[in-house]
Amino acid sequence: MKNLKTTFSILLFTVLISTVSSCKNDAKKADTDGEMQTMEMNKEGMDHDNSDGHHDNDGEEAEMSHDNSDGHHDNDNAASTDRDIAASTQKNGATSEIIDSYLQIKNALVADDKDGAAKGGSMMLMAFSNFDMSQLNEAQHKEYMEIYESAKEQAEHIVKSPIDHQREHFETMSTDVNDLITLLGTDKTLYLDYCPMKKVNWLSETKDIKNPFYGSKMMTCGNMKKQIN
Amino acid sequence: MKILKKIVILLIIVLIGIQFVPTTYNTSNEVLETDFTKIYNAPQNIKNLLKTSCYDCHSNNTNYPWYSKIQPGAWFMENHINEGKEELNFNTFGEYSGRRKKSKLKSIISQIRDDEMPIASYALVHRDAKLSEEDKAMITKWLNNIRENLK
Repeated sequence: MKNLKTTFSILLFTVLISTVSSCKNDAKKADTDGEMQTMEMNKEGMDHDNSDGHHDNDGEEAEMSHDNSDGHHDNDNAASTDRDIAASTQKNGATSEIIDSYLQIKNALVADDKDGAAKGGSMMLMAFSNFDMSQLNEAQHKEYMEIYESAKEQAEHIVKSPIDHQREHFETMSTDVNDLITLLGTDKTLYLDYCPMKKVNWLSETKDIKNPFYGSKMMTCGNMKKQIN
Repeated sequence: MKILKKIVILLIIVLIGIQFVPTTYNTSNEVLETDFTKIYNAPQNIKNLLKTSCYDCHSNNTNYPWYSKIQPGAWFMENHINEGKEELNFNTFGEYSGRRKKSKLKSIISQIRDDEMPIASYALVHRDAKLSEEDKAMITKWLNNIRENLK
């Protein structure tokens, strides 16, 4: 009797698990579909927003296209990190929401706050889906999409990972956001800091060094490379 | 007692029954031009390591051992493979933008270095997929070299 009971529960468990796992698969697929639909809807929404001329960066956009026409914004990825940021930073408020979410992640990592960083990751995903791509010209759009795909991947991992992984993805994200600012500009005053141990840059809204890659362990390690705006 | 016996028999029937549910297997013999080992010209030993330890979940061709074809095992595996390929597909590595190639390489290296990949549950069953310290050193050295050259 006892034996039978054990066998029975094991079998039941197996069947339950297999059911759950196959359901999970389906749910996932449905999720992805939903996500894609939302993205498409967002795109439509953006186009619509734009047609009523609500965007307040028209002047700067014109300037940006001008910059682009003289080949300043070529799509060479390899060179993008070495660009002179101070020289090419335009005043552009359109990137603010993305930068704000980045700074939220940065400050959470400085404070060893995993949940805060995860929240920032979600904010960034939201900021990217709110971003108005219709203002970009073709060359900008291509580079923007590459930056977006990478930053999105980093943000998704930051949402679901333990803090040491968050920090690794934040390294790549810092390069992405930095390149985004080089490409499109910002109206914020930011500081480009350099971490000599990680050999990567990060962006900060404050002048004093608060290193996000090690948290409290190595808070003041690093030096400011450049002021943006 | 009688009812229990009936339930057990029913469950056994269900277990046999689910074996006949069609499952899509992740298999392909096509060698794509965008394959990781091809674009970076991997030496044979590196190729073998990647194939045994990574390609089951991170490529279009899984090498299925017999036990992975028994349900619900195959469903578990399918789930892992879908997730794995979404994250990284070595067969189509050449399609990633330069920016993503760099970040993927960075992640591959840190996952191997920190023993996150191959994942423990997979390495437990596929003993040969587990990377020894020498394997890890060799493969990360080779990967780091590619990464340096991408910059």
